[in-house]
Amino acid sequence: MLILKNLLRRRTRTLLSTLGIALGIAAIIAFNAVGRGFKESLDRYMRSTGAEVLVVNRSAMAPEYSRISKEEVDQVRALPGVEHLSPGTFTIISGRVLKKPKIKFLTVFGRVPGDRLIEKYKPGIQGRLLQAEDEMILGSDAARDLELRPGDTLELLRHPLKVVGVYTTDVKFESAGCVVPSSMIQQEMKMGDAVGLFWLYLKPGTDWKALRTTIEETCPNLAAIQTSEFTAYYNQLDYIDWFVWIVSLISVVVGGLGVLNTMLMSVSERTREIGTLRAVGWSRGQILRLILSEGLVISMIGGGLGLLLGTFGAETLIHWAPRGLDTRYSALLLTQGFLIALALGFFGALYPAWQASRLSPIEALKYE
Amino acid sequence: MNEPAIRTRDLVKRYAGADITALAGVSIDVDHGHYLCIMGPSGSGKSTLLNLMGALDVPTSGEVILNGRSLTTEPNLDRVRAREVGFIFQLHNLIPTLTSVENVEVPMMAVGVPRRERRQRAMDLLSQVGLSHRLDSIATRLSGGERQRVSIARALANRPSVILADEPTGDVDSKTGDQIMACIQNARKQSGATLVVVTHNPEIARGSDRTLHMKDGLLL
Repeated sequence: MLILKNLLRRRTRTLLSTLGIALGIAAIIAFNAVGRGFKESLDRYMRSTGAEVLVVNRSAMAPEYSRISKEEVDQVRALPGVEHLSPGTFTIISGRVLKKPKIKFLTVFGRVPGDRLIEKYKPGIQGRLLQAEDEMILGSDAARDLELRPGDTLELLRHPLKVVGVYTTDVKFESAGCVVPSSMIQQEMKMGDAVGLFWLYLKPGTDWKALRTTIEETCPNLAAIQTSEFTAYYNQLDYIDWFVWIVSLISVVVGGLGVLNTMLMSVSERTREIGTLRAVGWSRGQILRLILSEGLVISMIGGGLGLLLGTFGAETLIHWAPRGLDTRYSALLLTQGFLIALALGFFGALYPAWQASRLSPIEALKYE
Repeated sequence: MNEPAIRTRDLVKRYAGADITALAGVSIDVDHGHYLCIMGPSGSGKSTLLNLMGALDVPTSGEVILNGRSLTTEPNLDRVRAREVGFIFQLHNLIPTLTSVENVEVPMMAVGVPRRERRQRAMDLLSQVGLSHRLDSIATRLSGGERQRVSIARALANRPSVILADEPTGDVDSKTGDQIMACIQNARKQSGATLVVVTHNPEIARGSDRTLHMKDGLLL
């Protein structure tokens, strides 16, 4: 009764404070959903290759900077336990170069035409897989943005490539990309016959750890990673988490200060009323609980609103951002968001509540 | 009961910061069910005495004994205020956002009276003070006299043994003041509570069992 009426007394202030929390929680949900979505996309992408092991240049900070010589490729291909080796290259082409206003950039995956690695695009493909050096296949999002269909031609890095298929995938950045012959990227990136990385398909019963040791002894320049451990290996992906949590922390501090300000003003305005409550027998603990409850009600409403806004915000973000981003929500993330909101309400109201509970009834009643 | 309802012994109250002695040694006994009126000019110490009797404040020295228990050694003054004392203030001090009935419920919330019982008792008390037609009116929409009657009902909420009224008619016209005093007297008679009223008004003192006069922190 008292809690809601006190909050409704200054509706605008309560609303602003609630919005402060809602925006803080929304930022946490949105950035986390996009950050986790990106990491999970990478995991799904790696799993979808069907390969057990990915080999990259050890000194490359990220796979896009990795270079592996043909000699190293051949040495690993010849190792016992390796059933098949699929090399790959990778680049990103600006939308300006493509002269296509709808897309900011196009992710280009270089593969060997007819290789096992591109077999994964076969299910649901419209058209067929690339089999020749002048062919390419497009992800469905990229095909839509580029307004291309099988049979059309796209000039990419001065190479006219015939679109022979449009594939579908649940990995957003792959859907917004295309697969071209690796040789084209090697030529344009002046890689010679080096590749960026390669995937290994192992013979049944092969001990992958033993193989990793052999690879790293044979080619000290290389690092072998289990495809399922990809995002864990590239710890720079942790920067995404750091970024997300720093933004979240700032949002949380702003939200918490909002509650603190609201409750401090509220307590100051209601000093005389608090005196009355104390005079009619309310204990310090009851006053403390009253003010804390007001903070918690603000934070519960703000938290709930924040979850909705965050979800909406994340979907809006990936809708307007360059294609390729994905979102991932989990019960844990939503629970974390809501608990952070509750903590904001609790800690934001704690000092004002403590201050209110310490008021002497007689002094509070005399307050003008 | 041999013990008086309220006993004060050599009560002294000094405000150190302002170097003011509000009470300079006051000893009073008020018997159960009696109506005591305390008169005196502004600054005589009568409100300070009332606040000490009601455990709203603590004395610099001396002792208040309420229903046989010393407030000096009482660990829970909140409980004393909630259960044994009902306050009526000059400016009524209602919570402005609450209705009449909700304002009367406020002291009962302090002692954990269940919601349904709280509501029923508040309605009965408002009916007793003639406000059964204003149960759901927000405090700010009530007249001065009505607010003070809500304040009387609130003071009676936890069936206190002592009612303390500080200038209860100070903020209303004389006709309304008479109605308020009649209302307080009626409530006292029905509840059998001890009543202490602080006032400037000699008319109010006329109906009391005993009247004391104060000046400069002392009883005359």
